Amino acid sequence: MTTNDLAVQIVSDIPSVDFKEHTLDNGLQVVMSKFGNIPMVVVNTTFHTGSKDEEENKTGLAHLFEHLMFEGSPNIPKGRFDEILNKNGGDSNAYTSWDSTSYYVVIPSNHLETALWLDSDRINGFGISKESLEIQKDVVLEEKLLYVDNSPYGSLEEESSKRLFKNSGYRWPIIGNMDDLRKVTLEDIKEFFAKYYKPNNAVISVVGDIDYDNTLRSIEKYYGNISPGGEIIRKEYTEDDIKKEMREDIYDNIHLDGKFIFYRMPEMGTKDYYAMSILNGILSEGDSSRFYNELEYKSKLVSEIDTTLYGMEKTSIFIISAIAMQGKSLEEIENKIDNIIGDIKKGNISDKEFKKIQNRIETYYNSKRQSIVSLADKFSYLKTFYNNCEKINFEIIDYLSVSKEDLVNTANKYLNPEQRLVLNYLPKNN
Amino acid sequence: MSKIKIKDIGTAEKLDRSKPPKSGKPRDVNFPKFYEAKTDNGITVLVIEDSRLPLVTTRFVFKNGSYTDHFSGVDKYGLGSMTSELLVKGTESRTATDIAEEVDYIGATLSSGCDYDATYVSSYSLKKYFDNMFDIISDVIFNPLFAEEEISRLREQRLNVLLSMVDDGDYLADKVFKKYVYGNSPYAYPVEGNHNSIKSIGRKDIQNFYGKVFSPENLIVAFVGDITPDEAMLKLNSKFYKWENKKSSRDEIITPSLHDSTKVYLVEKKGAVQSSLKIGHLGISRDNPEFIPAYIMNTMLGGYFTSRINKNLREENGYTYGARSYFSCNKYSGDFSINTEVKTEITSNTVKEILKELNDIRNDFVGKEELQNVKNYISGNFPLQLETPNAIASKVINLKLHNLEDDYYNTYIRKVNNLTKEDIKNAAEKYLHPDKLSISIAGNTNAIKEEMKQFANVEVINDIT
Repeated sequence: MTTNDLAVQIVSDIPSVDFKEHTLDNGLQVVMSKFGNIPMVVVNTTFHTGSKDEEENKTGLAHLFEHLMFEGSPNIPKGRFDEILNKNGGDSNAYTSWDSTSYYVVIPSNHLETALWLDSDRINGFGISKESLEIQKDVVLEEKLLYVDNSPYGSLEEESSKRLFKNSGYRWPIIGNMDDLRKVTLEDIKEFFAKYYKPNNAVISVVGDIDYDNTLRSIEKYYGNISPGGEIIRKEYTEDDIKKEMREDIYDNIHLDGKFIFYRMPEMGTKDYYAMSILNGILSEGDSSRFYNELEYKSKLVSEIDTTLYGMEKTSIFIISAIAMQGKSLEEIENKIDNIIGDIKKGNISDKEFKKIQNRIETYYNSKRQSIVSLADKFSYLKTFYNNCEKINFEIIDYLSVSKEDLVNTANKYLNPEQRLVLNYLPKNN
Repeated sequence: MSKIKIKDIGTAEKLDRSKPPKSGKPRDVNFPKFYEAKTDNGITVLVIEDSRLPLVTTRFVFKNGSYTDHFSGVDKYGLGSMTSELLVKGTESRTATDIAEEVDYIGATLSSGCDYDATYVSSYSLKKYFDNMFDIISDVIFNPLFAEEEISRLREQRLNVLLSMVDDGDYLADKVFKKYVYGNSPYAYPVEGNHNSIKSIGRKDIQNFYGKVFSPENLIVAFVGDITPDEAMLKLNSKFYKWENKKSSRDEIITPSLHDSTKVYLVEKKGAVQSSLKIGHLGISRDNPEFIPAYIMNTMLGGYFTSRINKNLREENGYTYGARSYFSCNKYSGDFSINTEVKTEITSNTVKEILKELNDIRNDFVGKEELQNVKNYISGNFPLQLETPNAIASKVINLKLHNLEDDYYNTYIRKVNNLTKEDIKNAAEKYLHPDKLSISIAGNTNAIKEEMKQFANVEVINDIT
């Protein structure tokens, strides 16, 4: 069976997800999917604006908005958004990435209109007070203390971003620089809101127990008369390639040394990106993966090792994170990691290893079709970044059509010492 | 691409955004049906069938966990968790590497672990590989080797993990809290063990624990997903029908008692810029008949985003990224706690606000709307907890593990909706004790020590093992 035959076979075995798309006159892109068997519905609204779109000296606004959007709008006073949701059996959450900001509400399906009313009011008009702004700045400052300053290895994002990127908005952390955050004024947020929180910069995905016609009618009713904003001019992404290895020692409140290796990769959706996803699996997924087996199991060098591929709009980041066993040297760990990558670059990938990753993908793909919250998020993501929702059923082909040769080429093209950043985390003496 | 056309939309309706929309009729939700049987040798079998996806999960649940560590010899904490993790590290016919290779090759997962009251082994795979997977999971349950080499590898690994966990303020606060709240009960000790206990656990201890806990009468097996009850029973019997029960001793139930008064326990977290707080006292066991009123009372107090404590500390004061309270319920007892992290300078202000909220909900009736809101929230959100067959299975296993009535989840929503403001006040009076708290804080102890004296006697804990 060729790789493509295999992909076709697998795709036909997986139950496909039904969906419909529409674009309102004001530019709001709508995705709807009737899915699942519980009487609930998710409304996911995603704005195509993240931390990389911020201005230097005004960082952290995208994430601050993630908090502020729950703090009141023209017809929903402060504190009422979540109260109204809760008393109708609903719940909400939101997150911010480098490239987008997503909000979702999950609610019993008979209250779908309530969710749309609440969500559309905060896009239709601005209602955030100075008082709310100041309180939420404090909340975000605490969030930063919690996840960064008071957390072991918590400064990784900040320490890596500023070294991996020199020009683009990827060079500051998603949460922003706290000095910028403290200075944010009501005028700043009004301006940001007027520019980005517009229907023509958003996707709304409604997934769950729905009727397509009624749902679209309701979306049109609540969002249809929101006026579009001007054309959003996106900054051009320019970053020079990394041509010289960067290394740095960082001292932190930790007991075990950490080795963190970062490589810049091509943006999500590219062929090399999918190849890197497969490599990621070979390196660190499961107890038979190369890194676990060699570094944690056989040589007992690390107490933990993992890799992550962060897919981004203009680039991606591949991170190898290893926490050393007490008394083991970071140098030895790095050598071992490099040997394993070197082995892959030479083409030493067995058929069994390759097939294993394909089998894992098949299981993973099936298991991702269960939750309406994650499906709605996936639809918003596919629409925002690919303008292609068909990928919900066919993206598995992108993964399965990667060949062994592609893996070797990708490893040779990107996983080179001169293209990386190495951070050694060491215990602070205090 | 599927595009649809819409008719009759747009201008016909003038939208008044100041008025909330009317809602449709709610759809009824019943707890899904499941299959239950008992094998001749006493295994409880559950099948939660759902063929929408070609996936099968098998969950083995043995009704003892790390509570049993306490009865396995002096200082054997962490024994249950070591034993469960070692199951998948080699059998008489498969090495640890063989198991990892076989499981990963078919794209499956195999995991094991324990909490205080139970030990879990579960597998997850595509249906087409279920036979292979069942073969492996049966093997690790019947024939674990507990090889010395694997024991020493895990021991070394665990000692390193314990070393790094003290870098986490929440972990420190939790550890101190449990130690003082549970006193002489086995729930006072961490599931993962401590430095000395992990060093003292040997192969014999592990084999004894295995022998004590792994028997058919002590086992619940849940099959979840694309599998029928007939298939499940056939499969189980093919491997497990000959398994005999051994005589085993029961663990003693040690009942801890509430403290006489409030006390503050401080533990140093290196380089802390925030205080990690865990404040509370003994709570209730999971089978307490008043679990539901206590749970709903707590939801209003600190169980969800719009609860009193989160509203106060986060939304009104900006003290924290988030604050929640919980009744954490085990089989024989449980605890109640409020958990949050705040910057060092506002530690005592935070404690004051928490005390205020604890007293308020005990002294005054909750508002009518507040109570109705929480009822709607709990019942409206309930279906989300039944979205996947594995979520349903967790609930059913919970019924069996804690001997709850079979119709528990079918009557749950009705019981919630019948609660009155008097029930909530009773639950608060009976199960909240603002004058008998353990205030456990990990952070910069020197900076907060003096100001904490306003609440109670302060003890600085230096040895957290």
